[in-house]
Amino acid sequence: MNIKVVSRILEANDRLAEDNRKIFRDSNVYVINLMSAPGAGKTTLLERTVSGLSGKKKIGVIEGDIATDSDAQRIAALGVPVVQINTGGACHLDANMIREALSGLPLKDMELLFIENVGNLVCPAEFDIGENEKVMILSVTEGDDKPLKYPLMFERASALVINKIDLLPFVDASVQKIREDSLRLNPGMRIFEASAKTGSGLQPWFEWLNQKGK
Amino acid sequence: MHEASIAESLIELAEKHLREGNHSAVSSVTVRIGRLSGVMPDALLFAFEALKGGTPLEGATLLIDVIPQGGMCKGCEKEFSFDGPYISECPLCGGAEFSVTRGRELEMTEMEVA
Ligand SMILES: Nc1nc2c(ncn2[C@@H]2O[C@H](COP(=O)(O)OP(=O)(O)OP(=O)(O)O)[C@@H](O)[C@H]2O)c(=O)[nH]1
Ligand SMILES: [Mg+2]
Ligand SMILES: [Zn+2]
Repeated sequence: MNIKVVSRILEANDRLAEDNRKIFRDSNVYVINLMSAPGAGKTTLLERTVSGLSGKKKIGVIEGDIATDSDAQRIAALGVPVVQINTGGACHLDANMIREALSGLPLKDMELLFIENVGNLVCPAEFDIGENEKVMILSVTEGDDKPLKYPLMFERASALVINKIDLLPFVDASVQKIREDSLRLNPGMRIFEASAKTGSGLQPWFEWLNQKGK
Repeated sequence: MHEASIAESLIELAEKHLREGNHSAVSSVTVRIGRLSGVMPDALLFAFEALKGGTPLEGATLLIDVIPQGGMCKGCEKEFSFDGPYISECPLCGGAEFSVTRGRELEMTEMEVA
């Protein structure tokens, strides 16, 4: 007997993500899912962002990594509530992992929650975790061909931080091309150019974040 | 790269439908995978075979319909298909206002059950 069962394969995850979204909304927490390839500078950008928004936004962080809690330690050193998720091999965070991590965070005392996804340019884009926005980082050392090679993530992210611009003199990447190709995939994308290491270019990013949840 | 998670979710979803319909056995599961979804059919098949053991889907074959890219233009009001990961204008009229309507599928469509 043939039965029709048309349903999204990830429907269970989608449902849990909606539950998370409701929890965030009820607690008035605005959630950003931060995605990039390994080493593009997610944690460094978060360290800068915590200082840049201090006194303006109450921040919390969830760190997703395959293993280790070194990223969470870097964030905890700044006095911000943080929970580390170890996916034990999985290349992305899913809604259930976020749900379990929430018990470790003082949501009522937070306004902005950053979720640092596992370093990967493909998989995290497919999994809704209940965030308000997906933001991605592309570092110039990865090359300017990445938007067109990994279009899904660029399509789904509402903002892009082009990071490590301090290294532009040493690499062959064109920021112009990254901008053009990203906008071709996603015309509404907000694009920042920054160095999370030196701090340059971060002011517009802080201002953009400061408007969130208002 | 996340085909293992997709296969795992697929098996759970199929188990749920089996339970709900009180079916005892399943011989095949059919899915639609769009070319823009980032999921590689071969890798999904491999993951499914590796993970189905010990579940009610142990004896089931996975059938994959690969869905090519397609769009609908607001200008000329026609449907079109395209290759590659993205498209910047309607291939029929050159218009910039269109939507991608096919190629992102990641869904289960039917099962052959007893
Ligand atoms: N030159 C330069 N280096 C940077 C910049 N941002 C980050 N880095 C360096 O890049 C390396 C990786 O940075 P992380 O912040 O750990 O990157 P990540 O994306 O969190 O890495 P994973 O969590 O492992 O995926 C570190 O050595 C940083 O110091 C930048 O703007 N310029
Ligand atoms: Mg990190
Ligand atoms: Zn047209």
